[in-house]
Amino acid sequence: MGHVDRAREFVRDESRTKWHDESLWFVRAKRDDAADTVPDWEALRDEAATIKRDALSRLPDLWRQFETAATEAGAVVHWARDAEEHNQIVLDLLEERGFRRVVKSKSMLTEECGLNPFLEARGIEIIDTDLGERIVQLRNEPPSHIVMPAIHLKRSEVGKLFEKEMGAPVGLDDPDALTALARKDLRKRFIAAEAGITGVNFAVAETGSFVVVTNEGNADLGTALPSLHIACVGLEKIIPAPSDLAPFLRLLARSATGQPISAYTSHFRGPREAEDIGSPAPAMHIVIVDNGRSDLLAQPSFRDALACIRCGACLNTCPVYRRSGGHSYGTTIPGPIGSVLEPSRDPKAHAELPHACTLCGSCTNVCPVRVPLHHQLLTWRAHLAEGGHHPTRRRVAFGLAGRLFAHPRAYEILTKAGRRVARRLPTAWLDRLTSPWTEARTLPPIPARSFREQMRARARQATKGPR
Amino acid sequence: MPANPWSVLEERLAQNGGRLVHSHSGAWIDSVKWPCEFAELTHVYVAKNVPESSPTPPASQLFPTAHLSTLTSRGVGATAKAMRDLEPLEVTVLYADFAVAENGAVWHVPASALERTAALLAEHLIVLVPASSLVATLHHAYERIALAETRFGWFLSGPSKTADIEQSLVLGAHGPRTMQLVALES
Repeated sequence: MGHVDRAREFVRDESRTKWHDESLWFVRAKRDDAADTVPDWEALRDEAATIKRDALSRLPDLWRQFETAATEAGAVVHWARDAEEHNQIVLDLLEERGFRRVVKSKSMLTEECGLNPFLEARGIEIIDTDLGERIVQLRNEPPSHIVMPAIHLKRSEVGKLFEKEMGAPVGLDDPDALTALARKDLRKRFIAAEAGITGVNFAVAETGSFVVVTNEGNADLGTALPSLHIACVGLEKIIPAPSDLAPFLRLLARSATGQPISAYTSHFRGPREAEDIGSPAPAMHIVIVDNGRSDLLAQPSFRDALACIRCGACLNTCPVYRRSGGHSYGTTIPGPIGSVLEPSRDPKAHAELPHACTLCGSCTNVCPVRVPLHHQLLTWRAHLAEGGHHPTRRRVAFGLAGRLFAHPRAYEILTKAGRRVARRLPTAWLDRLTSPWTEARTLPPIPARSFREQMRARARQATKGPR
Repeated sequence: MPANPWSVLEERLAQNGGRLVHSHSGAWIDSVKWPCEFAELTHVYVAKNVPESSPTPPASQLFPTAHLSTLTSRGVGATAKAMRDLEPLEVTVLYADFAVAENGAVWHVPASALERTAALLAEHLIVLVPASSLVATLHHAYERIALAETRFGWFLSGPSKTADIEQSLVLGAHGPRTMQLVALES
């Protein structure tokens, strides 16, 4: 099943589609309001984009600098070429300590690596502590949004889930009450956890620090109590100096949810203080993961996508994402940025995604780090066509169309004949004949004369002069 | 700096679910809202850098759990068990370095992992910050932060919150349900 089929499934429920669309547009509107409070917003986007592009041009130097500084601070740095290496490193860290209970805060990287199923299969309990992520974890499904993992669910569905998983009273659908139940349940797990896993929003080369941003405080709680903190970070997350954090943190929450800043913006440097007498010495391990990122870096057309700070603004604004839902993409990261990133991982599997786009350019306009998303999506279409990843029907149709467009005379004769026939057919027939485009629309009336013919007639009239 | 930075901060902090209180060192206890009568509080954590001039709750009210006898407003040091036993905390009072007008955040460096935990496990959070310490934006903030010497530091703005169920805002996702920021005039 491809994006089109899953999207078709999603839009079958019209009122739900409308609700989903409006929920996300609401967040987009909040983003606009927040951006408007910053007078130098556009300059800030330039600054952030410049810092990222500079950093991406010298990743090896910056990460070595980071490794040195982080090691000095008492952290242990690991390098993982791919998801398997990453998962194995995390597993080894847990197993050598005999740890079985792990809490994790939101991290798209560990989703990408499939860390949860990997650890669960080896007898380790791993609990997602972000409320949205916990909800989708209990439902055994992936997040549908990179910032709001359960945005596709209604409160009544969460209520039903909690009825089963947390003993919620039947019919409970009040978000306050449901959150209180999850809080109580997760509090126990925080207290019992032996290790905390977090993602990383920004790694700072100069100091070996990294920053984790949450609204719930779950990354902090999950690392303050357990003795072991494992931070998993993608190769693209590094910036040179502490002062570089300012533009990104000014942009991130405003772009993501329209907040001036998230509730918790935590800066870690080395393991936490040893205070627990008689318990294991605190340790911090940082796993730096490539998993296809250096391949993307080698592609000049797409490397800018590595500047992405995962704010989700391009998802919230995308007319296709809003009306087809995150799960329709079938990828870890959905929406415009996912459609740029995922085909480089597996062009065959994700060849359809760059077509899940109207090229309206809204994503590019809201991106805080100026990733030229819709340009990249257009470029992907060409790459994938050249790589032979288009379905046969489209390849044949595009081939014929290409030849036809190259011969204006043949084009004119053929379309003239086509118009003559089409004008005699009932509209309903035409709609059925044409394409999926007319599934929910109808063709406009077929004009008697083509645009060229009309222009020629005009020109003739003009040379005759005014009557 | 905006013309009236504290009112900008107040507005932004309110967007994040927090509340700004203006007070001075001698009177903050009377200026903030407590979850119950002050004398009835039983589990309070007061950071040891809360200035000496500020009256603190009497020692008997400072987290009186027996095996936490070393944990007072002026002392730290607790067992592993103690960290986890912070759980029934009602209020935690912290002292932050400075505040940021543009986003309603304060920069705070916890004295210990215990203090960090106390800030997260308490039902209500009160953060004191000198009124003279306000900076305009995060750019100015990072000029003041020595990240290379900071094992752990955070910007805090508002209580712990989530909007993961149908985008409806819920305060107190995992941590404090309320957060009051007290601007202390000297």
